[in-house]
Amino acid sequence: MKLNWKIWVLIIALVVSVLFIAPWSVFEKGVVIKSIDKNSTESFSGLKSGMIITGINTYTINNLEDYSVAVSEIFSNTTSQLKVTVKTKDGSFILLMNQPFKMVVGAIPSSKIKTGLDLSGGARALVRPVNVTLSDSEMADLVSVTSERFNIYGLKDITIKPVKDLQGINYLLIEIAGATPTDLEDLVGQQGKFEGKIGNQTVFVGGKDISHVERSGQQAGIESCQTAQDNSEYCRFSFPITLTEEAAKRQADITSKLGISQEDPQYLSEKLDLYIDGNLMDSLFISKDLKGQVTTKISISGSGAGATRNDAIVAAEQSMKKLQTVLITGSLPYKLEIVKLDTISPNLGKEFTKNLIILALTVFAIISIVLFIKYRKLKITAAVVLTMFSEAFITLGIAALINWNLDAASIAGIIAGMGTGVNDQIVIIDESVSNAHISLKERIKRAFFIIIGAFFTIIAAMIPLFWAGAGMLKGFALTTILSVMAGILITRPAFAEILKKIQGD
Amino acid sequence: MEQKTEFKKEHNEKSWFDKYYKLMLIIPLIIILLSMLYVYNFYSQTGEIFKRDVSLSGGTTITLQNEQGNIDIGGLEKQLLVEYTDLSFRKLTDIRTGEAIAVIIESSSQPEPLRKSIEEIVGYNLDDKNSSTEFTGSGLSDNFYRQLMLALAMSFVLMSIVIFILFRTMIPSLAIILAAFGDIVIPLAIVDYFGIKLSAAGIAAFLMLIGYCVDTNILLTTRAIKTREGKVNSRISGAFRTGIIMNISALCAVLPAFFLITGLPDSFRQIFLILALGLTADILNTWLTNVSIIKWYCDKKGIE
Repeated sequence: MKLNWKIWVLIIALVVSVLFIAPWSVFEKGVVIKSIDKNSTESFSGLKSGMIITGINTYTINNLEDYSVAVSEIFSNTTSQLKVTVKTKDGSFILLMNQPFKMVVGAIPSSKIKTGLDLSGGARALVRPVNVTLSDSEMADLVSVTSERFNIYGLKDITIKPVKDLQGINYLLIEIAGATPTDLEDLVGQQGKFEGKIGNQTVFVGGKDISHVERSGQQAGIESCQTAQDNSEYCRFSFPITLTEEAAKRQADITSKLGISQEDPQYLSEKLDLYIDGNLMDSLFISKDLKGQVTTKISISGSGAGATRNDAIVAAEQSMKKLQTVLITGSLPYKLEIVKLDTISPNLGKEFTKNLIILALTVFAIISIVLFIKYRKLKITAAVVLTMFSEAFITLGIAALINWNLDAASIAGIIAGMGTGVNDQIVIIDESVSNAHISLKERIKRAFFIIIGAFFTIIAAMIPLFWAGAGMLKGFALTTILSVMAGILITRPAFAEILKKIQGD
Repeated sequence: MEQKTEFKKEHNEKSWFDKYYKLMLIIPLIIILLSMLYVYNFYSQTGEIFKRDVSLSGGTTITLQNEQGNIDIGGLEKQLLVEYTDLSFRKLTDIRTGEAIAVIIESSSQPEPLRKSIEEIVGYNLDDKNSSTEFTGSGLSDNFYRQLMLALAMSFVLMSIVIFILFRTMIPSLAIILAAFGDIVIPLAIVDYFGIKLSAAGIAAFLMLIGYCVDTNILLTTRAIKTREGKVNSRISGAFRTGIIMNISALCAVLPAFFLITGLPDSFRQIFLILALGLTADILNTWLTNVSIIKWYCDKKGIE
């Protein structure tokens, strides 16, 4: 049987979609490297994120479980350097390590289709600078400062992008897949203006006056813990920072004018107050030996409290990490406001995904039954269902190609698109069987006038959604438009040809 | 034999339709007018044309998982209502067992206090495994709302332009636009009547409705005025036979999401609810409103 080129286009589109979606990833074995620190042994050895690990030393790695077993057995009570061979699909890498890997690995995704936060779980924040409109380049700066904060804080797998709404207001959209970090609000919402003041004179500010922040090592960490009167626990942390020469001189200048404290003669009369975004975070005594001294190394401290000792240690460690992050990345020249913050449980998403698949199958089944009742022809019904499926599949293929995250609204768009697709096919069928005295070609041409008219009304109706509401509903508009486009350009012409063949039989 | 019945049917339809088509127009016009009045009345009482949910008015939504079914849902609702008077409470149910798999709690409150109150009542801490929290600031949500309403208006205007370009005649184009307007205002009145709170996704569904519903109108108008085979009435009844199947199959695509598969995100279900209401209204607006006007137009213009 000779196939018309329109049918070939459909077949090719389907094959290409399969390639884009790559559903065979289900059968792939191994674990994928999700993120890797730039300055780590892993990174120096040549391992990169995205590589698939299939073995470590003599262990075969098929899944995440194999990986964690292998790592814990290889590194169990190791103090000396070990030679570790990591086998990946891109070759083997040899690492000399004395502690377990720090890179983050994950299961290989079962296809290239990515699901949105509401289906896969994770966190999303929409942040807006207060009272200022940022230019595109300032927005890019904000993106890089925020990315750096996350990076230094140690969070990976994050998308940060600027979005603009219908009124031209800039937002920063931050999306984190999977788990939600507890400090998300502080990391994205903080201006990060850090100041050290003695009296009302500023000694140094975060970023420009600080040349180095000690983040680990013996001098950085929890200093002491104690129990408060109400039985809650309280821990102090401290870490050294290095001031620039200029800031150190300024400090010497200010301290030279201070007297000795009346209450405790070991210290100077004023304290060094540390502020974050204008809020007093801590007040430190200044040793009398430091009076008028140019010293670049000073110790920053703070505290954390909790119901138990452990809680207090965790709280203190977290606020230390946060403070270090802010000190390193410096502050933003404006305040930020979190205007939207969503954290979605991955467990609910699983339930939703399952139900969406059931829904899609139900819709297929019901429409097939309705059409079969109407036309009483198996071939026609099969052709419609096949076309409907192709449209949805090609839309998914395009979404996979452009790396679109499919959220629930996007999938609603695909299902609604299937509905319009069926409508168009009904028009083609009915036009092709009516008015037997006009040529079939002419009748199908007429059907396409209606279909193209309906196509443009859908496009016209959905276009405003690309911008309205900071693009939060872009997915819905995009998949609807993609699926009607796939319909009009690929599946419907092919369907008309298939129908001609069926009618010709 | 078949041809004969077909002819008879057409003949019957013709006389009936020719007699009453102007009267037929009155029914949908009254419904559209009543809907408009209802929405206007709603507006004059509340200052809004529909109730907004927290994604459009600002506030917090907490979705609590209930996989083990150990949450006392009734008790939780009662206790929370004491503290949060504007609270809204919904359940997501599993289609097979009918049990609540999750509870959705909405309030204009900030996330922290609401989460604390829930934690106190259920007796465990909420984390990102057992719950989802969505917060929208009131400034942003107002902004969202205004923009989506603007988008809705833009969408309607753009659709109207497309229709005018397609048909290039005043009355038939206006008939389609009137039908599309009815497709929006009737569902809106129903939404208001049941006090449903619309989300951002719900408004997006209204936009889609604008594009989605006009295909049967385009079919009808094309068959009636762009083609010349047979009589107007037979072309219209042919269009009806095709169009009603289109309406039914489109409803089949959207109804299961609302009635059968209930364990889906709320935003998702609302999209389908609005589409279902709109498509139902469209049956009326295409096959009573639009059809009468187009028949009238054909009679006046002498199109046979």
